[in-house]
Amino acid sequence: MSMAMARWWAVGLAALVLAGPAGAEEGVTDTEIRIGQWGPQTGPAAPWGAVARGAGVLFQLINDEGGIHGRKIRYQMFDDGYNPAKTKAGVKELQEGPGGIFAWVSGVGTAPGLAVRDYLRERKVPWVGPASGSHHWVSPPEKNLFALYPLYRYEAAALVRYLVGTGGKKRVAIAYLNDDYGKDGVAGAAAELARHGLKLVAEVPVEKGDSDLKPHVLQLKKAEPDAVLLWVTPTHAVGLVGTGKAMGLAPQWASTSSCSDLVLMHKISKGLWEGVIVANFTELPDADTPLMKKYRAAFEKYAAKDERWGVFFYAGMGFAEPLVEGLRRAGRNLTRQALVAELEKLRDFKGVLGRVSYQPFDPTDPLSRQGQREVFLTRCLADGKAERLTDWLTVE
Amino acid sequence: MIADLWQAVASGVMAGSTYALMALGLVLVYKTSEVVNFAQGEIALAATFVAYLGLEHHGVPWWAALPGALAFAALLGAAVEFGVLRRAKDPSVLGTIIITIGLEMVFLGLVSWKFGADPKTLPFPLPPYDGVSLAGAYVSSLELLTAAAAVGLMLALYLVLAHSRLGLAIRATQQNRDAARLMGVRTRRVLMATWALASAVGALGGLLIAPVTMHPYMMWDPLLKGFAAAVLGGLTSLPGAVAGAYLLGVTENLFGAFVSLEFKSVVAFAAIVAVLCVRPSGLFARHHVKKV
Repeated sequence: MSMAMARWWAVGLAALVLAGPAGAEEGVTDTEIRIGQWGPQTGPAAPWGAVARGAGVLFQLINDEGGIHGRKIRYQMFDDGYNPAKTKAGVKELQEGPGGIFAWVSGVGTAPGLAVRDYLRERKVPWVGPASGSHHWVSPPEKNLFALYPLYRYEAAALVRYLVGTGGKKRVAIAYLNDDYGKDGVAGAAAELARHGLKLVAEVPVEKGDSDLKPHVLQLKKAEPDAVLLWVTPTHAVGLVGTGKAMGLAPQWASTSSCSDLVLMHKISKGLWEGVIVANFTELPDADTPLMKKYRAAFEKYAAKDERWGVFFYAGMGFAEPLVEGLRRAGRNLTRQALVAELEKLRDFKGVLGRVSYQPFDPTDPLSRQGQREVFLTRCLADGKAERLTDWLTVE
Repeated sequence: MIADLWQAVASGVMAGSTYALMALGLVLVYKTSEVVNFAQGEIALAATFVAYLGLEHHGVPWWAALPGALAFAALLGAAVEFGVLRRAKDPSVLGTIIITIGLEMVFLGLVSWKFGADPKTLPFPLPPYDGVSLAGAYVSSLELLTAAAAVGLMLALYLVLAHSRLGLAIRATQQNRDAARLMGVRTRRVLMATWALASAVGALGGLLIAPVTMHPYMMWDPLLKGFAAAVLGGLTSLPGAVAGAYLLGVTENLFGAFVSLEFKSVVAFAAIVAVLCVRPSGLFARHHVKKV
């Protein structure tokens, strides 16, 4: 073979190699779409691990119905134990490993999500529906990051609006977990109270490790609140209500969607959760809409034997719905660009969460990437069932 | 102001009682075998979940389930000593720490796997939040029970160690294992008995926490605080451990009430550092001089 021939061969080979990947998007093959998620299956945050398992059941359902445009979803989920360092390592490993990941879905927690946000942005990988109502996902908004969970600030505002407007409460206090989640609650409540010419009468921080809540109740009690928001973990929320009852603090308690699993809350509080008002971002567990029925059937069929049909399990299915809808609309010729374009066209899309809408990307408008803006309120009844207090409420 | 002070002190004493139970268990084991048993929290956790299993799922009455759980803890503690620590060949202090931390993880994993991550509460004869007012300070009946248990156990253990044959054997084993064995003390059995006893004491702590909050990580904070209390008290003194626990609980709560609720839980560890700088062998233990 002459040198000239060899040179032509080399050029031809190079062209083939270059042309190969240009046609296919990372994480997509003729038969598969690779979707990733992290979620705490072990560790103190493990009760929220149901989110990632719920998404898995939804994908299984979709695959058994034939997949999306001839492709099956290949779901890659890993346990990060709510440890941001592990989240980052796991995401990098899957993203840069063989096959890569086309898009990430959901993922529990503000801190774990923040650990990978910049990485995913730099690689331009779509991430749809983080399972946390933090404001960080949309301030500033990002082209490929589609927030979904209504902001904790919206929840706080909706609760305050109800407590002050309908309930006639004047002295609202808050007990908050001393982190981003808790502080978002404080900010939302303070902003809404200001619109009514009121202020929070007490802001009491709770640390993750606190187990004796008497000091916190004492501080609350001094402010003589007629309503107290609980922006804490479910265990702390129950502790505050119980200790409050024993120490003679009996305001209207109100809490976030994190404590909205009324069956669980009622059980672990031994009934004390009765009467507490909570914000909800999903349909109620016993709702009999056709979609909820279908999901419950899928749960019976695919979920592990000791899995519980709790709010965060089917919320995990709900967090994955917009991504699935985007994939369907993007068609057979699937690219990340096409997915983002289709997600931007979602208007009042309704699954088991509230309505979801996005707008064409506008770096100055957080709402262009905040999918769900509505919540509704319920009150816990004597048997752990929910009494619906409001319809879906949109908070601007 | 005075009312706040009184409430903070009362809350501190009550919180200290839980730490005291954990500290007693740690000191008992350390005294005889010079092992810091980091698995104690998770032995208590396993026993607490065994009680839960009986009470919640099998209709066992509480008067059988709770003592049953203590017996389970004692067996598990004895098994750990017999099955693991005794097998370790000439372990260093670091080696035994690694062993107990490893066991801690194994038990934690087993409990998480068997019972799942959802928070629970233990059905208990006393309602978790009912309480009484002690001259204006609120304490729950569960906390009073914990305090009684901590002080009562401390006295009982002290008497056993000082006046019974088992106590004599334990002290002999602690002071010089070889000499004790030559004098006819069955030192291995003594060690195993101590581990069983200490594990049951720790499990009592767990059973008294669980009516309020119960999940796989519930013993972390109490064990760490109990360890802090034991170190404060000198790690070899039972009254010292209990005093350390109450000192810690009260300091923490005073700090929380008058300085900052936010940094309340850090106080314990700041206190350890401070004490160890001034008195390396703790507040209540005689200074340990190693004979060469």
